Parts: sequence; structure tokens; C-alpha cells
Amino acid sequence: MALADAGAPAPPPGLEGPDPGRWRRRLTTAAFLAPAIVLLTVWIVYPTIRTIIRSLFGRDGSEWVGLGNYETLFTTDTLVTAIRNNAIWVAVVPALVAAIGMVFAVLTERISWKVAFRTAVFMPMAISMFAAGVIWHIMDEKDPERGAVNAAIGAIKDVFGSSGVLSRGQPSSDALTGSVRDGFVLRATVRPGDGALLGLTAIPPAEVPADAEQAVAPEPAAGEIVGVVWRDFRPGGGEPGVVEPGELGIPGATVELRDAAGEVVATTRTGADGGFAFADVADGGYRVAIGSKTFAAPFEGISWLGPDLITPSVMIAYIWVWAGFAMVVIAAGLSAIPRDVLEAARTDGATEWQVFRRVTVPLLAPVLSVVFVTMIINVLKVFDIVLSVAPGSSQDDANVIALAMWRTSFSGVNDFGLGSAIAVLLFVLVIPALALNIRRFKREES
Amino acid sequence: MAEVEFDRVSKVYEDGTRAVNDFRVEIADGEFLVLVGPSGCGKTTALRMVAGLEEITEGVVRIGDRIVNHVPSRDRDIAMVFQSYALYPHLSVRENIAFGLKVKRLPKDEIARRVERAARILDLEPFLDRKPRALSGGQRQRVAMGRAIVREPACFLMDEPLSNLDAKLRVQMRAEIARLQQELGVTTLYVTHDQVEAMTMGDRVAVMRKGELQQVAAPQELYDHPVNLFVAGFIGSPAMNLLEGRLERAGDGLAVRAGGQTLSLPAELTAARPALARYVDRTVIVGIRPEDLEDAAVAGDAPEGRRLGGVAQLREALGSELMVYLTVDAPAAVTAETDELAEDRGVQQLGADEPGTTVVGRFSPRSRVREGDRVEVVVDTSALHFFDPDTGLGIYDATNGGGPT
Repeated sequence: MALADAGAPAPPPGLEGPDPGRWRRRLTTAAFLAPAIVLLTVWIVYPTIRTIIRSLFGRDGSEWVGLGNYETLFTTDTLVTAIRNNAIWVAVVPALVAAIGMVFAVLTERISWKVAFRTAVFMPMAISMFAAGVIWHIMDEKDPERGAVNAAIGAIKDVFGSSGVLSRGQPSSDALTGSVRDGFVLRATVRPGDGALLGLTAIPPAEVPADAEQAVAPEPAAGEIVGVVWRDFRPGGGEPGVVEPGELGIPGATVELRDAAGEVVATTRTGADGGFAFADVADGGYRVAIGSKTFAAPFEGISWLGPDLITPSVMIAYIWVWAGFAMVVIAAGLSAIPRDVLEAARTDGATEWQVFRRVTVPLLAPVLSVVFVTMIINVLKVFDIVLSVAPGSSQDDANVIALAMWRTSFSGVNDFGLGSAIAVLLFVLVIPALALNIRRFKREES
Repeated sequence: MAEVEFDRVSKVYEDGTRAVNDFRVEIADGEFLVLVGPSGCGKTTALRMVAGLEEITEGVVRIGDRIVNHVPSRDRDIAMVFQSYALYPHLSVRENIAFGLKVKRLPKDEIARRVERAARILDLEPFLDRKPRALSGGQRQRVAMGRAIVREPACFLMDEPLSNLDAKLRVQMRAEIARLQQELGVTTLYVTHDQVEAMTMGDRVAVMRKGELQQVAAPQELYDHPVNLFVAGFIGSPAMNLLEGRLERAGDGLAVRAGGQTLSLPAELTAARPALARYVDRTVIVGIRPEDLEDAAVAGDAPEGRRLGGVAQLREALGSELMVYLTVDAPAAVTAETDELAEDRGVQQLGADEPGTTVVGRFSPRSRVREGDRVEVVVDTSALHFFDPDTGLGIYDATNGGGPT
């Protein structure tokens, strides 16, 4: 007894019996927790549970279908496309965003316009995702007259491509027939010693080559076929099919000599006055034509928003938005790397690339993983930018899980059961990434 | 192994600051040269120019026969030890040490052999698989050394490698680095602001001030024949006492009158410093090392011309010796150099607002001096130093050229 007494001394006065302050303390605790608990329950817990239950019921919620919605989910083409597309998004986009962010962060580290450049790259983050999607939708239009991307590609093609001297033109008289695509052929058969007049109209004045000179009517010579390609038009009229003063030759036009079967036997190009000549032509009947090479095939634009390229197009828009985020986070990580560790690596004999590979990147690993995990979660949930970039006709091909959920639930189909099943799938897919994040936070705290 | 040479090297920053100006030093093959000076004197900048981490604005740096001005760091065949150690935090000790060998793509067994050897020399064998953050300061310092020695470079560059260690460890590592350098025989350039490190470690010591080289000499030479006031005040702890006095003729010889007191100069001193003759009846700055002062009660009788009178302000008993700070009735020497030295030590010049000057004496512990006592001090007048108050230069021979460099 004596021992027991020594081990458990009597509680000091005031702590004997029930603690009068205990309920008060519990009440305070509850009061502080209540707002959070209420909000979480109403906005998170209840909807989650309700969605899971709803996914087991049919379209209007009255019929129990068990896992039927999930079966539909994995057997419907557009939904399988959505899952497959989401997998591609997760595989491609986080890596690209991190890589591009890293390139920007490293390259802008030592430039004097660093702040301006980084602001510009970060700017898309300030735009709503939907608006960014609309911008890209307009830029990705197929018609180069409307879509900036195709206009830019067209401009580059014009600089480097071997396009012809003219983009369009029409025969000035019945003597010629054909089209820009096939070339224009003189109806009449031509023999050596003859001349050929190949008049064109409807040529925009700006397209007439700068070195063009007054057209000269050909002077036939024996054994040769000579001719002229000219702009058969002068202000105030003029007579079609006749070379008149003030009418310019078209230099650089391709002229073909075709035999009776229509095979091209010789080609030549016109001079500054539009004149051309085929020498030493064997006797016989020929046709003379302005080759289609004279006319540049106009660039018709790449179909960015078509079914084949729609997913890459949306990804480009998405990366454009998020690269700035990655850059800012990685730049912060870079500036936290002690300078002298990098200097130590340099004096240790490492090349700049080795310093980057063996020191900078490993030291950036925690930051890179933040970017990566954040982007995986974001990409799994990607929705609005797909909706705004992809036109209705391509949405089946651009489909992602979140978009599929919305389209199934709200956009005409109104199948809330299947929509809920898609939502649950998305929820399940996000869990591993979240768990990864939570584990990292815990590790950082410890 | 190679010599390192600074040939009229300057470093000018964009804003026009000259961090290093017309710097000229040759470091012999295998020599241990310590670059010392107060903070901001350009010593680290000079070191970083050899390392290739700082561009050279003017002049030429040679390592061996090679001008390295435009050679990138990695090709200079140097190894640097940083003040912060700059270990790679993501690599183990073994990988840290091996890093420089791996990037040079040495064969694996050669790397392993060299790392083992370095670990053995530095007692790092038990820690090879730890990460740097699991090491103590002294161990990290040794890893940094290990990383340098495995490279077997032409030259070691050390940037205040001991300044992050506690006092005891610093003394130990000081000896260790000096021993290591001697064993390996690698040319070493060592930067420090600690004059004790400079004195104990270097074959020669180069003192810098405001980007300018003041003097390069063996430690003892630097101590005995400082070329100017700055070097005299910087080298030695406690610092040399500096008084302002007037040189006068006294019979056959010379005497210096400082305030109300007179010290006569022995004949051998005047003979060793013939230039003193030109300063007769002019103001000079007199330097007295603390160890050249002794309590008259201990030292015994001394003639009038070797005594100073003062009042003890503070005594610090260190066991083997006794530091006594006393106020002497003599004006203190105040020049730009002494101001700068005081600033570097983080103290205001004492005695600026009271008559007399505080001087420090390193007395025998047998002295019974107490604070507030009036003390008679015997001065070893043969060890006095003299400086020109205008130029700050030491007064030595006729050419006034200062000590040998």
C-alpha cells in the first residue's frame, strides 16, 4: 500500500473529481472546427459520396444498373479515346512543360532583359484558360488569311519555296485553254517556223515581276518555235490576243512544248520581254503551253483543328500557358543553388554541360518534382482549353476524361449516371498523384 | 606542379572600382604563399582570377609556362577549396571526392585507388558513404581538401578554408593543411584574413591593402622588417604600438621624444637604419612590439633612456604571459593606415579623446601590476621601428627602400 501511495500521489486540490472546464474546452474546439467541417461536408464529402452512388444508377437515376455505367465507359469509342488521350497528355505534357520551363529558366538566368522576358513568358498564366483556348483556336484556323499559325508557315514557305512567278491568271482570249493547275495550252497546233502568242489577263499588278519589259511580238524563224507570254492588258482596254505598246512580258514563266500525244518534249523559260524560243524543233505539229509551274500553288494551310492534329494543337496551347509557371518555379530553384557549388564543379574540371547534368539538375530535383506532380494533376483534370480550342467537329478526337464527363452529363446527352461514372474514374486517377504530393509535404515538414 | 605568376594583374569592375591593382607576385614551384589582408582588400578576387572564376581585366596570370587568362577553369589544372566548402549536397563523400576524376573520365579502378588514398590521408574512411549534411564542420572541411588532393593538380587555391571552423579545430586543421602541403609539395595559394594563419602556414606571406600588394616576404622578415605602417600594424597580435615622436640628437646618438618621455636609440639601431639621420628634428612614428615592453619591476633596473611611464588600465593574465594595456603620456600616431587597421579590428582607436595613448605590453606573468597602478616600463630600444608619418614607409637604409621583398 505504501508503495502504491508513493507511486500515485493524490491529485492537487482543484483537479479532483470531474473537470468543470472540460466541456467548455470541447465546445471551443468544436466551435473552431465547425466552419471547416460544415464546408468540407457540404462541398466535398457529400458530393463525392453522392457522385459515387449516382454512378451506379442509370440515365435518370431511377434504375439501378450496378457497374453497367463503368462497362459502358470502357466500351464506348469516344470515351475510350478520352482515356487514351488523357494517358497521352500525362505522358507528354508534364515532361514538356518541365523541360521548356527549365530551358527558359536557365537561358534567362544571365540575360539583362531577364525580368521582361520572364514576365512575357509568365503572362499566359494571367489569362483564363478558356480565353487562351479561344486565342489558339483563332490562331489555328486552317485558312492562312485567318489563322496566324498557317499565315506564318505560308510566309516562310513563300520565302524558301520554289514557287512560280504568278499565283493566278486567265487566258486573255479563246486561243488559250486550261487552268492554273494544269497550265494553259494554245488551242492551235504549232509547227516549226510558227510564232505563238500566249496572252494572260487577271494578273494582280503587284505580281508582275519587277524586271518585266515591254512585250515584243515574236519573229518566226525556220526550224524554231518562238513566242511570247505577256500580260495582255493595258489600262483603257486594248485588243485581246494582240501585243500592244504598254503591255508587259512575263519573265520567268515556264513554257512547255508538247507533242501530238500531249507529252512534254521541251521546256524553256521566258526572258524579260516575255519572249521564248524552242530551237531545232523536228518537223511536226506541236502544242505550246504555259506550264503549271508558272503558277505557285497557293498554301492552303495545315488543318490544326482537324481530327489528326487536334490533340497536339491543344497541347501546344496548354504548354504555352503553363511553361511560364514551370519557368518561374524552376528559376526560383536555380537561384537557391549556392553559386560556389557550381564554381567548385567548374574548378573540379567539369564542362558547362557536366555542371548542368551532374550538379544543377540533381540539385533542382525537388523543384522539378513539384512541377511534375502539379502538372500531372492539372493535366488529368484538363478540360476548358480542350473545349475552347477544339471545334465541335473535332471534340470526339480531342476528347479527354473531364470533357467527356461534361459532354455526357450536360451537353445534350444528359446521362448523369455515365457522367458520374466518368467523374469517379477521374477521381481515382488523381489519387496517386495527390498521395505523392502529400507524402512530399510530410517529408518536407519532418 | 608548377609556379604561378601574377604579372601586373588588375581587376576593374564595371563601375570603375579597382579591386586588384597592378598585382605582381611569383609563387615558386611547391611554395606555400599566403595572401593576407583585411576584408575587401582584393585577396579573394586575386585568387579567383587564378581559378578562372573571375575575369582578368589587365595583366597576365601564368600557371607553369602557360598564360591562362582565357583558359576556362576546367583546363587550368587547379583545385580550389572554398570557404563554404561547396560540397555537392546530393553526392556522398566518396562521390564528392571522386567528382573531379569522374568528369575527366579516369578509369574506375584508378578513381577508387585515389579516393581511398585521400580518405586514408584525411581520416575520412569511416564517412565515405555519408552525405555531407551528416558531417561535422571539420569533416566537411577535410572532404573539401580530399576533393582537391585527389585531382593531383598543379596548384591548390584555398579561399579562407578554416574561417568557418571553431578556434580549436582551426588550430588543428592549420597544422594539418601545412603538413599535407609539405608532403604533397603542390604549389599553394592560400587566402586568409587571419594574420596568425598567415604567419604560421606560409613559406612566404603577401600582404594586401585596398587591392595593392604591400609586401611579400617570409613571415619573420615581415614581422621584423615591415615595409610600411600598414604591414607593421597588421602583422602581429596584439598589434604593434604606434606613437608619434620627434627625433632629436642626444650627445653622440639619437633620441626620440614622445610626449613627455624620451627614448634614446642604441648605436647599433642607428647603424642599421642610416636613413634615420635625415629625420633629425622631424616627426616620426615609433613602433614598439608588445613583447619589447616589460615591467621595470621584473626586468630590473634600466637607464633613463629606456623607460616609459604609464598607468595600467587593464590586465589580461594568459598564464604564460600577461597583457597589460596602459596609458602612456605620448601622442598616438593617427594616419589613414592606422584608421583602417583599427576599423578592421572592429575597434575605435583608443585614447583619441583623452591625453596619452594606450599601448599594450606583453609582460612576464611574474609582474604584479594591477589596474590603476602607475607602471614603469622598460623598452627594448634596439627593436624599435620607425616610419615616415607622411608616406607611412618604414625608415631603413639610405634609399628608404624598405625591407627586402
